[in-house]
Amino acid sequence: MSMETLLLLVGLALILARLIGYALEKIKQPAVIGEILAGILVGPFVIGKIFGLEYLSPETEALGKLGIILLLFLSGIEIGIDEIKSASKKGLITTCFDASFAFLFGFIVGHILGYSTIVSIAIGNILVATSVGITVRTLMEMNALHSKVGEMILTVAVLDDVFGIVILSVTLGHGSSELLLLKVFLFFLIFLATLFLASRIKNIKINIPNFVLTSSLSFLLIFSALAKMLGLAAITGSFFAGLLLSRSKHRRRLINFTRQIGEVFFIPLFFIWIGASFDFYALEDLGLLVLLFIPMAMLGKIIGCSLGARVCGLKGRDAFAVGIGMMPRLEVALVVVTTEISMGVFSKELAQQILAATVLLVIITSLITPFLLKTVYKR
Amino acid sequence: MNLKKLQQQKIKDILDEKQKWSLPIVEKDASIKKVLAILTGRDHVWVVEKKGSKKLCGVITESDILHLLAPPRVPRYTFGKRYSISLLYKTARKAKDIMCKRVARCSLEDKVGDTLTKMVNSGLRRLPIVENDEIIGEITVHYILQKLLGKI
Repeated sequence: MSMETLLLLVGLALILARLIGYALEKIKQPAVIGEILAGILVGPFVIGKIFGLEYLSPETEALGKLGIILLLFLSGIEIGIDEIKSASKKGLITTCFDASFAFLFGFIVGHILGYSTIVSIAIGNILVATSVGITVRTLMEMNALHSKVGEMILTVAVLDDVFGIVILSVTLGHGSSELLLLKVFLFFLIFLATLFLASRIKNIKINIPNFVLTSSLSFLLIFSALAKMLGLAAITGSFFAGLLLSRSKHRRRLINFTRQIGEVFFIPLFFIWIGASFDFYALEDLGLLVLLFIPMAMLGKIIGCSLGARVCGLKGRDAFAVGIGMMPRLEVALVVVTTEISMGVFSKELAQQILAATVLLVIITSLITPFLLKTVYKR
Repeated sequence: MNLKKLQQQKIKDILDEKQKWSLPIVEKDASIKKVLAILTGRDHVWVVEKKGSKKLCGVITESDILHLLAPPRVPRYTFGKRYSISLLYKTARKAKDIMCKRVARCSLEDKVGDTLTKMVNSGLRRLPIVENDEIIGEITVHYILQKLLGKI
């Protein structure tokens, strides 16, 4: 791809993503879907077909992957170690039910369709993490954010992102299971050692302008590389780098900085890349996969979270509302599927189908959750 | 006063008693109403562990309150619980719900110049003066300016 084509397409994609994203926000839908739609527009099926310009290239892929690293870093630093530690026991129990059922239902889909164990595990991984942006907006509209249901959803959503990343690391790293466990153990040992060291370092005076931001970015990239070198996913490294830096007194500044560079440039480029990679031909062969994948993805969350919330003392209707509120998948599901594809878990054809099915899952759950939540919670 | 000379001075040399005893302080379990009442007259409030204690555990600024007063906006990419803290939806109840937990700080022995650099690098206009994790005073840009112009 020539430099001028790259600049032209990236520029066009960014403005389209912002405009369509904003339009979707106005109708109370996630901007991320707008970014995916912008990707479809600049991808091979619209602009590519009309003007013969190819958006998908190693350069745009690299930009998108930096977007994933920043997105997971943002996730780690915003969630923060303190928030995880302060999560209630009830939240933790519900998350265990939630993550187990979501993973299991995904695994069953793979098993029914006759995929290998590793592919079935990979499908299970995609379904673990939730994105509750749409649920939070709905709960705000219903003035129910402070209710038991709202509080439970927020706590479980924080924890299941962590569960999703940890499960991905444990199940899909490279190497034999013993070696993988050793690598995971080593990674967490390094994480804890860094955490311990960071808590000991106090009052270092470095008066280099922007040193905190540069060194944090550098730490993020090195920690992600370290995870990759240990055979885990780079996103595991970036998520845990975020968790480590969540204890910094510069946390707010880091969040603002990451949001600035991430939200404006790199992260939309990841979702645009997802949209551009969406293969409409893959839809032809999706049939049974979609028929199982999407309903099972929704059922896994509804059953898992409702059961968990019920065990933790929420009444039937409230527990069911927690399950409904936890249905939407978005950022982390797309990050997980992309990571699995780049790890080579799926064959090329299957990768296209799984990606298309995940994009459809994102769109469908985002569209129906507000309606279902209002119906269940108001009744 | 000469700016260069002021930068070389230590915090303890320029600090007067008022900066020590008139601190805006609330305990972390104080109600939002109490925090808001203090902020009607001050632009920040230091949060301490409990009533009677001076152990610093956070700060709440005008900017934090501004976010609470404005219609809540769910960010494009949502993680954690921070964005759900709102006055309107009653998710902000106590000081600890809205405070910034990690607070940049300085000590009596720090030079004014270093303290100003710290403020610039951290994007802050005030720092607590802390000894043994307890807040004993505060230093603000406003105060340093008054000192420079000889108004105090």
